[in-house]
Amino acid sequence: MKQIFFKQAQAIVLSKLCLMLIILFSFGELFAQSPEAERNYQVCRACHNYDGPKLIGPNLIGVNDRHEQDWLIRFIRNSQEMIQAGDPEAVRLFEENDQLIMTPNEHLSDEQIIDILLYIENGLQVDPELAAAAAAAETDEEVSAVEDQWQLQMAKERDAHRNTGTTFIITLIILLVVLFDMFVTKLIKYKIIHSVLILIGLVVIGEIAYKEAAVFGRQQYYQPEQPIWFSHKVHADQNEIDCQYCHTVADQGKSAGIPSVNVCMNCHHQVKEGQITGKKEIDKIQKAWETGEPIEWIRVYNLPDHVYFNHAQHVEVAKIDCAECHGEVENMHEVIQIEDLSMRWCLDCHRTTEVMFESNAFYTAFEKLHDQVRNGTIKSVTADMVGGADCMKCHY
Amino acid sequence: MEKKYVRSIEELQLDEPRLDQPAGDRQFILGMEKEVKKMSSTTRRDFLKTFGFTIASAAIASSCEQPVRKAIPFLIQPEEVMPGSASYYASTFYDGVDYCSILVKVRDGRPIKIEGNTLSSITKGGTNSRTQAAILGLYDNERLKFPMENGSETTWEQIDEKILDELEQIKAKNGTIAILTPTIISPSTKAVLNTFEEAYPNTKIVAYDAISSAGILQANKAGFGKAFIPSYRFDKARIIVSFDADFLGSWLSPIEYTKQYVKGRDLTQGQRKMSRHIHFEGNMSLTGSNADHRVQVKPSQQKLVVASLLNSLRLASGQATITAPASPIETSLLALELLEHKGAALVVSGSNDPEEQMMVNAINELLDSFGNTIITEKHLKVRQADDQALKQLIHDMEANKIDALLVYDVNPAYDYYNSKAFVNALTKVKLTIAMTVTDDETTALCTYVCPDHHFLEAWNDFEVYTGHYSMAQPAIRPIFNTRAAHDSLLRWAGIEKDYRSFMKDYWQEHLFTASLADLSFTDFWNKRVHDGVFDTRKTENGLTHFDPTASIEALSQLKAPASNGLDLLLYTNVSVGSGKHANNPWLQELPDPVSKVCWDNYVAISPRLAKELDLKDEQLVRINGSDPLPILIQPGQEYKTLGVALGYGRERAGKPANGVGRNMFGFQQNGGDTLLAFVEDVKLEKADGTLAIARTQSHHSMEGRSIVRETTLEEYLTDPQSGNEIRKEIQEHLKTLYPKIEYDGLHWGMAIDLNACTGCNACVVSCSVENNVPVVGKEQVIMAREMHWIRIDRYYTDDMDNPELVRQPVMCQHCDNAPCENVCPVAATTHSNEGLNQMAYNRCIGTRYCANNCPYKVRRFNYFDHTGADAFKGNRYDPVEMTTDLRRMVLNPDVTVRAKGVIEKCSFCVQRIQDKKLLAKKQNRPLRDGEVIPACAQACPADAIVFGNLNDKNSKVSKYYADARNYHLLEELHTLPSVGYLTKVKNKTV
Repeated sequence: MKQIFFKQAQAIVLSKLCLMLIILFSFGELFAQSPEAERNYQVCRACHNYDGPKLIGPNLIGVNDRHEQDWLIRFIRNSQEMIQAGDPEAVRLFEENDQLIMTPNEHLSDEQIIDILLYIENGLQVDPELAAAAAAAETDEEVSAVEDQWQLQMAKERDAHRNTGTTFIITLIILLVVLFDMFVTKLIKYKIIHSVLILIGLVVIGEIAYKEAAVFGRQQYYQPEQPIWFSHKVHADQNEIDCQYCHTVADQGKSAGIPSVNVCMNCHHQVKEGQITGKKEIDKIQKAWETGEPIEWIRVYNLPDHVYFNHAQHVEVAKIDCAECHGEVENMHEVIQIEDLSMRWCLDCHRTTEVMFESNAFYTAFEKLHDQVRNGTIKSVTADMVGGADCMKCHY
Repeated sequence: MEKKYVRSIEELQLDEPRLDQPAGDRQFILGMEKEVKKMSSTTRRDFLKTFGFTIASAAIASSCEQPVRKAIPFLIQPEEVMPGSASYYASTFYDGVDYCSILVKVRDGRPIKIEGNTLSSITKGGTNSRTQAAILGLYDNERLKFPMENGSETTWEQIDEKILDELEQIKAKNGTIAILTPTIISPSTKAVLNTFEEAYPNTKIVAYDAISSAGILQANKAGFGKAFIPSYRFDKARIIVSFDADFLGSWLSPIEYTKQYVKGRDLTQGQRKMSRHIHFEGNMSLTGSNADHRVQVKPSQQKLVVASLLNSLRLASGQATITAPASPIETSLLALELLEHKGAALVVSGSNDPEEQMMVNAINELLDSFGNTIITEKHLKVRQADDQALKQLIHDMEANKIDALLVYDVNPAYDYYNSKAFVNALTKVKLTIAMTVTDDETTALCTYVCPDHHFLEAWNDFEVYTGHYSMAQPAIRPIFNTRAAHDSLLRWAGIEKDYRSFMKDYWQEHLFTASLADLSFTDFWNKRVHDGVFDTRKTENGLTHFDPTASIEALSQLKAPASNGLDLLLYTNVSVGSGKHANNPWLQELPDPVSKVCWDNYVAISPRLAKELDLKDEQLVRINGSDPLPILIQPGQEYKTLGVALGYGRERAGKPANGVGRNMFGFQQNGGDTLLAFVEDVKLEKADGTLAIARTQSHHSMEGRSIVRETTLEEYLTDPQSGNEIRKEIQEHLKTLYPKIEYDGLHWGMAIDLNACTGCNACVVSCSVENNVPVVGKEQVIMAREMHWIRIDRYYTDDMDNPELVRQPVMCQHCDNAPCENVCPVAATTHSNEGLNQMAYNRCIGTRYCANNCPYKVRRFNYFDHTGADAFKGNRYDPVEMTTDLRRMVLNPDVTVRAKGVIEKCSFCVQRIQDKKLLAKKQNRPLRDGEVIPACAQACPADAIVFGNLNDKNSKVSKYYADARNYHLLEELHTLPSVGYLTKVKNKTV
């Protein structure tokens, strides 16, 4: 919970910075080598080294000296077009580099390309002032936009929690005062007032105690700090990686599976620097890979030991979307537990969710239910009708 | 034992009314009251204090943060491993005594269960209690964790250097190295030993069996010219006569024999025939208690009966009889019956007396058994040791002729009849090396300890029968710093190859022949490792001619026993067996199938003799001045025979085993050629005091109710419902106010064929392993708090001196009208839409109303936390170290580990039901019959337990339910159980 407070504070500071940035951006066109260039440059980096050994394409150091800027802009945007048109310089480069095709970058404007070229010219340096502002704005933009939704929800919940705390203490004080008055000071003459107040107080306290006891042991809005600042937003949203690319066995096994380091390394053999955290976090994967020490992730979604939950049953058989339980993970940098994972939450869903009654041949054994569906006695078959609300479907 | 729980001897004497005796329950309550008083003297103030503390701690706990749980993935995830899902690896259990081809269930890298391998042509998916329990050996607290020199830790490099140095010195001065092993049935291990022998030419390899079969070996040597154990075919025999051969429990290959025996007695497919089993014995054994006709005979006189039978057969087949001492039992009728089934008769003897075995061979020859029920072309390779070999070795050791002794996987300091001689001789050997898995009596005496892998961590191969191979592959990485004994031997022999490669090379060279099925050796190897078994057509030739000369000589030289005193018969039970696995709490707590005693060995004595000597249960006695042992009055025990189990009295095995019972190996007699398991003319004297015996069933009578229903084959053939007539009558009277519950889709039911069930207890252990059933220890068992979810009830019928015995496995009956469900105040036990009686542990508040209302007494209450599940350490009661981190690795993660204060019971292995349902759903198909197999049914070597969907009229369980033999336990109560029993049919003349 501490962390959430911190984030909020951060958000306030950042929104102020955001204002500054808007002011800056009104003049922004004039500046070169904005941090945007650095970001765009990541695409270049996949195939080109700035300096040192040659990667797939030629090194970029001194590229501005080797070619005309106009030529460069056209070439960067779509080199194949130029090669097919028979531009001698382009054809020569194509031949020199084993006829490897450079991916077109049609989305880049002239200004953006020039910006990148300037960035290269400056030895991969960003204007420091701009960088600070933009970094702040960027993070702020994302954090505020993405996290807004559940941040608000959390804030609401927390406030509600705090309110009950305050109410509890106030009620307790009133209760004590009333009791004190009843036996010692005796300021109020009518005992009935005491009695009514005590009764109300006890009801309020009881209500709060009941609610608090019910959530005891649950971890809604749990968002632990992970050993690696891993962003689901970057992976699942920006890079559109499917959940099951990493959580490979969600459709087959009990656990969805935390990806092993070799799964990370599939991509991070190449991708060695991130947009947000740079090398810092990705290096931890490299380190784990090199030292052979597995990464100790913190489990966010914990069920008590006496509950059996199987991912395959829900993902593969019932075709439930991951987001039904885990929320919009693609919009979270760090995963937060959205649902309270209470038994009521499970059962509510089991009582309303239809099973694949007609399409899954397993359910052919339920002859009577099939008859009822055919007769129109029941419209659909929900999980609880095939035993989904029985104790020993989850507790054994 | 300071505490003494009074148990009445009168309980045993069923014929007399027990009016003066308080009811069992009341006595139990009195005991509890005493115990509670002793354990806590809680006053009202204490209660309030505790109450206050609980509230306060709850408040503190609620304000604390939740514990951080980690999810640590693999660095590189192996392809076949799916977190949270089990993989199965084929392997083999062989401990020098028992053999079983197995599958090992591995969950997230941890082996957690052993199942039978259905591909095996020997064990056919059956297991026994020791095979099931062997998984806990992997997590034994007393496992050797690192190499040791003189008791202190060292490294493999250092120990190798020192051992090699000493071995070289011995080699240089042409000294002798001896390797002491159990009977080795592994061809590759034999090759490793040969390699070692090549490197050190003056090496002697001595095989030693704790439980010996040298008698059969010698008899066959005399009769066939080669020492071997043949393949017995109990399924082909129409009549089986056994002289104290406990072939369903401990004799040679019990799992295989149980499968065969039950096959010959199956009546579920409309068969009209079943084999007849006549059993001669002094003790009441598992096999004897299953016999159609059981005859009591003193062990010392058993030979006379065999001789008499041989003579009767000779007479009946027109041969001259040979004068022999008179037999106490008339055998001419038996001879005629046997001859009626010539070619389909089988006579076996469990005696280790070569002469008796020779006569048994002659009997089988006359009955035309060789080639029919005894296959001499296939040899059973276990227990091949010559009993005199170790004696010779000890002699050599004492004469300083042995310079080095390598002890591999045997423990003669405990289980040799003359262990003192061995221990003394060991001090004369300069270099002693132990290669064992756990710390034991012999290991403690050796200078160098080179810990071996547990069999689940190691590669190995086995040839159990001629041409029948099986494999062992590691199911887990070595937990400790151990090394396969094979690797040690190869290293010392100077071979730079690990055992796996060595074994692979051996198979490539000796067992691989390219064929269409196995194009390359890799295909061949992978398939064998996958299947775990490999059968070839190899046979032993030239062993069909039997020469009866030696048998006749044995018969003619037979002498009557010198005295008519008491005989002491030593036997191995189905739980701890030879004592090698005595440190396994599951086995220690496993009740004996006959006496229902666990956690001890005892002197079984006949009721008649006990009365004569005025001995009562639990009275301590001495046999020939031995350490005192308690008495147990055993109905059916031969009048003048005392029986004591081997395998107890370990001194250095671990907390669960140390000091439990007495070591009886020292009583074995060296009969000249072989070790005999009985002693003639022993003296029994009363010692001071008593020792409480823990038994899980102290009541032996059905009290006139038809709990177990039985009939005879004759009656069954005229009326299939015989013995079960009452069912019709009961059903007519069953009335209910409630509507009958109709199940849609699945309705789980179980059927148990009492004719198949031998009472071997494999199901009990299997259930405990699968369902994390706690071990409670001796004291708690005495208070009737054992936790087994399945028990095998046994009842005596007729007179106590020569009773018949019936058994019935009882687990939760999953009643459709369940009495337990109505009384639960918190709805912790309810009925599922699949007919299961559910138990939600987390909802249970421990009122025990359900247990009280259950007519079957199948609900178990956790009086303490025995498995370390409880958050409060003070709730723990762990007398046998089952809560160590190592031991807890065996727990099944799919089953909740119950804490103190909740009721538990059989769930029909709901985790397996759910697993297979999910599999069917994933594959988009209906559930198949026989797909869901509960742990008890899977372990059963007799296939007595059938499980399935009662709504499916074609399922096997529905067919069993439709059988005229089917009945339900206490069905007059109209509880509508989902467990059916098929009546027991005995093939006897009335």
